[in-house]
Amino acid sequence: MDLQSLASPTGLLIGALCGLVPLVIALRNRTPRPGILGFLACLLSGFACNVLGGLPMILLTVAVVVSYTYTDRDDPFLSRAALEEVDFEETFGAMVTRRLAGLGRTIRAASRALVRNKAGFLGFLGLVFFFVLNIFGPMVIPYDGQPHFYDRRREGAINLFQGPSAEFPLGLDWQGRDILSHIVHGGRALIITSVQAGVITTVIAVILGAVAALIGGLLDQILNAIANFILTIPQFPLLVVLAGLISFEDRFFLAVLLGLLDWPTLMRAVRAQVLSLRERDYVEAAYALDLGLPHIVMREVLPQMISYIVINMIFSIRGAMYAIVGLVFLGMVPFTEPDWGVMIFMGRSQGALFSAEAASMLLSPVIAVALFQLSLVLFTRSLEEVFNPRLRAGL
Amino acid sequence: MGDNGSSQPLIELQNVNRFFRQGRTRVQVLQNINLAVAENEILCLVGESGCGKTTTGRIMVGLLEPSSGEVRYRGRPVNTLRGKDRAEYRRALQIIHQDPFASLNPAHTVGQILAFPLQRHRMAEGRGGVRRRIWELLTLVDLTPPGDIVNKYPHQLSGGQRQRVSVARALTVNPRLIVADEAVSMVDVSIRISLLKMLHRLRDEYGIAIVFITHDLALAKYFAWEGRIAVMYLGRIVELGPTPDIISRPAHPYTRALISAIPEADPQITRSKQRMVLRSEDIPSLLEIPPGCAFHPRCPFFVEGVCDTQLPTLEKVPDGSQYAACTPLTRGQELRLYGS
Ligand SMILES: Nc1ncnc2c1ncn2[C@@H]1O[C@H](COP(=O)(O)OP(=O)(O)O)[C@@H](O)[C@H]1O
Ligand SMILES: [Mg+2]
Repeated sequence: MDLQSLASPTGLLIGALCGLVPLVIALRNRTPRPGILGFLACLLSGFACNVLGGLPMILLTVAVVVSYTYTDRDDPFLSRAALEEVDFEETFGAMVTRRLAGLGRTIRAASRALVRNKAGFLGFLGLVFFFVLNIFGPMVIPYDGQPHFYDRRREGAINLFQGPSAEFPLGLDWQGRDILSHIVHGGRALIITSVQAGVITTVIAVILGAVAALIGGLLDQILNAIANFILTIPQFPLLVVLAGLISFEDRFFLAVLLGLLDWPTLMRAVRAQVLSLRERDYVEAAYALDLGLPHIVMREVLPQMISYIVINMIFSIRGAMYAIVGLVFLGMVPFTEPDWGVMIFMGRSQGALFSAEAASMLLSPVIAVALFQLSLVLFTRSLEEVFNPRLRAGL
Repeated sequence: MGDNGSSQPLIELQNVNRFFRQGRTRVQVLQNINLAVAENEILCLVGESGCGKTTTGRIMVGLLEPSSGEVRYRGRPVNTLRGKDRAEYRRALQIIHQDPFASLNPAHTVGQILAFPLQRHRMAEGRGGVRRRIWELLTLVDLTPPGDIVNKYPHQLSGGQRQRVSVARALTVNPRLIVADEAVSMVDVSIRISLLKMLHRLRDEYGIAIVFITHDLALAKYFAWEGRIAVMYLGRIVELGPTPDIISRPAHPYTRALISAIPEADPQITRSKQRMVLRSEDIPSLLEIPPGCAFHPRCPFFVEGVCDTQLPTLEKVPDGSQYAACTPLTRGQELRLYGS
């Protein structure tokens, strides 16, 4: 996915058009406030990700808008009418509205749960900050790969480091380039690759873990043997060796490799959880009702584990990010500038460790990575409450 | 077991054994169980906790396979059933679990819980049909008005309401037999009776057979008066017969002990009632089941050289309608207190 092309004026237009949908519905329902919020949400996400951001946001915001005015009385089923008075056939539109309202209520409860947990909300804000920084930052701060201050190069100096100044808030790097612009432009590839690796890890781990636990037998033994085998390999040294053999010109291959190495831990945890969930009475009831294995996995077992899975995915993302930065730092991955990892590598190799002037070149990307990681970890604190209907209700 | 020999039983366990592995040891949980349930019958499984009632129930509905022996559904061994027959057999047998807090998936609303089987097995026509059926089912289990329940999550319901939802869920597939495993033991005493009445009504109206599992003989007496009782002890059936006979004229010493321990509503009777004194109160572990009759170390009527060596078989009691597994008794000897 090339995010460079996103956050365009077209996106702004798409976002505005999408935003009209919840706005108009809200105005017709006389609930302007959620309508305006919905418009802004659509505008922002359309701006950020074009159609990909705008269309899903229409669904979410419309659901929330509808949930404000939809009362249970609109559904004959929920009224206290007698059987003869109830019309069980509902039109397609009525069903869509009813489902949307249900979705909207869930979203509202989930966002209330998100705000309620202070640490989690802080993490969420941190993630939003990095999202904005990476998507919208480049529009405000263009990439600056030009050396500055050639003329003012000090006598005998071998580099152009410079501390923070009014013109360059984070200072200049060894080539005299603006560090702030490198921070703004240099996180995107790293974050995308880490997220890809985390998602790949999770998908492999969840599928294999569930299959191993529910089908069992020989397959279970084989999968466990593979998992144990991978777990015994020292991961990072192997990555370093592989990086020497394979060229990671395309970072996606790096994500795949990280995913292939990282799944066993989560797979074993998922397997253990599914094994224990399988014993639950409601899963047994689903077997007795002959609801089928796909239903049992997707609807009975996984929903219980969703927060656990997402939390672990976030930890995988975190681990992948460390691994990538580590590989870049060791110079094992082809450099593509701007990149936080490359900044750390160059900072160190160009002697930024030994000069106060140059501290910003090392500190800025290190702090950026650390803050992103902290936001991720804090954010996981909320997830339990966001996903669990009981906690969501604030009981 | 005899009482309506001509018609095919709905479900039948023949010489069923079941063991579980715990590490290297084998725990023999069920031994030589023979049990048949007819259409529309009420059968009560009674016994102390740990004697294998739940295991029997799970084997009956096909959630567990016997280690040896055979399960027959309408006369056909269930492991030979394939395709449509197998699907029909699975759906015909449903189970209500003991713990109302574990039997419903906390992630789904009541409406979803009921809709899944209805949609999967096309038990209703279209969306409207599914909604109508959900309404009917909720009304059937006395959860009215249905609109107040359908969008609730299980954690928003009481224990009794959850058990009703469990029953409604079992009814979605029009079962022929419901195994109610201690289904009321974890709900408030005040709503037990109404739950039991509801189960009775479902049996009468829909011809469903009910296997009612309980450790409480008083409850069995109340619930299964028109049916039969099977008394279990350490993985075996020790007595089987029509409820009134078992309650009024228990044959097996273990059943007698259980009945003598039932408190009567009238305290006068309770006090004057003679409690049978066992030789030991300890229930042996399943890991070391006593040889011969498993009850003999506790039995007040223990006969040396017979009970501790010969495995009793379930046979007709000489002057009763029930079957009992007690060697001296079925041989027609009079039971005498040990040592007297
Ligand atoms: N899945 C299992 N694995 C091992 N042991 C089991 C399993 N299920 C039941 N048991 C054992 O079988 C015995 C009988 O259990 P159960 O049928 O639940 O008795 P009841 O329902 O009469 O209380 C118990 O000792 C229990 O520990
Ligand atoms: Mg039990």
